[in-house]
Amino acid sequence: MDLVRDVMDKKLVDRKDCEMGRVDGLVMHVGPSSQPRVTHILVGGTTPWMRLGPVFSRISARLARLWGPKRTEPVRIPWSRVKTVGKDIKLDVMAREAGALDWEIWISRHIIERIPGGGTEEEE
Amino acid sequence: MKKILQITLGIVTSVGGFLEIGSVTTAAQAGAAFGYQLLWAILLGTLCLIFLVEMSGRLSAVSKHTIVEAMRERFGFPFFFIVLVGMVLVAFLVLIAELGGIGFSLQLLTGIGFPWWAVPVSLLVWLLMWKGTFGLIENGASLLGLVTISFVVAAIRLHPDWSGVAAGLLPAMPQSDKAHYGFIAVSIMGASISPYLMYFYSSGAIEDKWDETYVGVNRFIAGFGMTFGGFLSMAVLVAAALALQPRGIQVDDFHQSALLMTTALPRWGFYLFAISMLFACFGAALEVSLAIAYFFAQGFGWNWGEDLEPSKDARFSFVYTIIILLAAVPLLFGIDPVKVTIMSMALTAATLPLAIIPFLFLLNDPIYMGKHRNGWLSNSVVAIIIVVSFVLAVISIPLQIIGG
Repeated sequence: MDLVRDVMDKKLVDRKDCEMGRVDGLVMHVGPSSQPRVTHILVGGTTPWMRLGPVFSRISARLARLWGPKRTEPVRIPWSRVKTVGKDIKLDVMAREAGALDWEIWISRHIIERIPGGGTEEEE
Repeated sequence: MKKILQITLGIVTSVGGFLEIGSVTTAAQAGAAFGYQLLWAILLGTLCLIFLVEMSGRLSAVSKHTIVEAMRERFGFPFFFIVLVGMVLVAFLVLIAELGGIGFSLQLLTGIGFPWWAVPVSLLVWLLMWKGTFGLIENGASLLGLVTISFVVAAIRLHPDWSGVAAGLLPAMPQSDKAHYGFIAVSIMGASISPYLMYFYSSGAIEDKWDETYVGVNRFIAGFGMTFGGFLSMAVLVAAALALQPRGIQVDDFHQSALLMTTALPRWGFYLFAISMLFACFGAALEVSLAIAYFFAQGFGWNWGEDLEPSKDARFSFVYTIIILLAAVPLLFGIDPVKVTIMSMALTAATLPLAIIPFLFLLNDPIYMGKHRNGWLSNSVVAIIIVVSFVLAVISIPLQIIGG
């Protein structure tokens, strides 16, 4: 598997095929004697902005503290939860529980649901 | 048969992307200033667009990924972000221009100034997206957009000289005023090859749940739809050449464009023009706002879909809500939509290479395209379009300064 070609920036979908962001970063474990090994997938937070430059990452961290669900850390998904890597990456987690929908839920509750006709984000 | 009915996606893309305030203004300017001479620019723009739109639809049908999704996956976040900034900036200006175009049309019909229409018009566009489904927007806008065929009626009733029209389809340099000629040619190309149109079409293919069996239908829809738009644009140019050029009228504002219709159809022309522009700009406003929201949602991996209840794709709905609200603000202060249009078209031309280059890579990627990869013809066309887009990008801003 080619990490950059097949994993980075791919769309993540949860057990119920709910979209839960994209692979913004990867965490590797490099031990003194073992081979480097991918341990976690990072989604959101300052991770994608870090790839543009430290300035963007600082701005995004500051904005995230001011507004929204007050989440500055990216979502960390253990590599062991990866089911398949294809055009999308299927994960054995639930998006909501993993925290990948924090922003979605926050915007829904604070803005969208308050506009008439917006419906509710609660799952049936 | 059901598949053929999806032609509405082609028509809405084409009416919304082609025959809106940008194309009408540039085509009318071209006809008024240079007669039939600039018809080739519309023809060239249309040909480029047919290929690009066909590829956008094919990528979606085969890979179930839109252009934006595939672009983020293949080129990474930083590239995606640069295109996002460029595309959203340009599309936002286009949205202001289209909302202004709707306001102008209503001003023609009612006499009430266009700044007064900014808020009600934006609310209506937003409401349709908020409550409507993709099918409603697609079918409604393309059906109403058929009114724009009246431009063809106007052109034919003015009895064009067909040999002159045919000669205009071949590029030629004018004797004088070369900078202005070049500027209008670039604007026409900018108005025709709008990237938001491809993003909209490729997302529409996903909304309409296309699969590999749509590859052939897609070719027809892209070809027919874009030809339809190009044909209407040419009709505007021809009508302007016959109605405006002999009287020496230069098109600097929206009202003068109405003359190209009233000359041919004295009784109904005025209303037909206003209603055509109203529906065309309305379709375009919906298309641009959706394209911006699609771009964000697909690039960041949010759930999206015009058929979902807003709270089920909150971030997607939030983006178009904010964008439409913001676009109404400059209009409230009376900013001239025609000026915004002209600026946005030059900027479209300047950012075109960024939008087109990914096509060359994505459409040849076996992981996405399998056996439906680009053939030599499509690849050569994309290569030519990239060269053209670089030329446009380099000359658009200087030409705007000296020729605009």
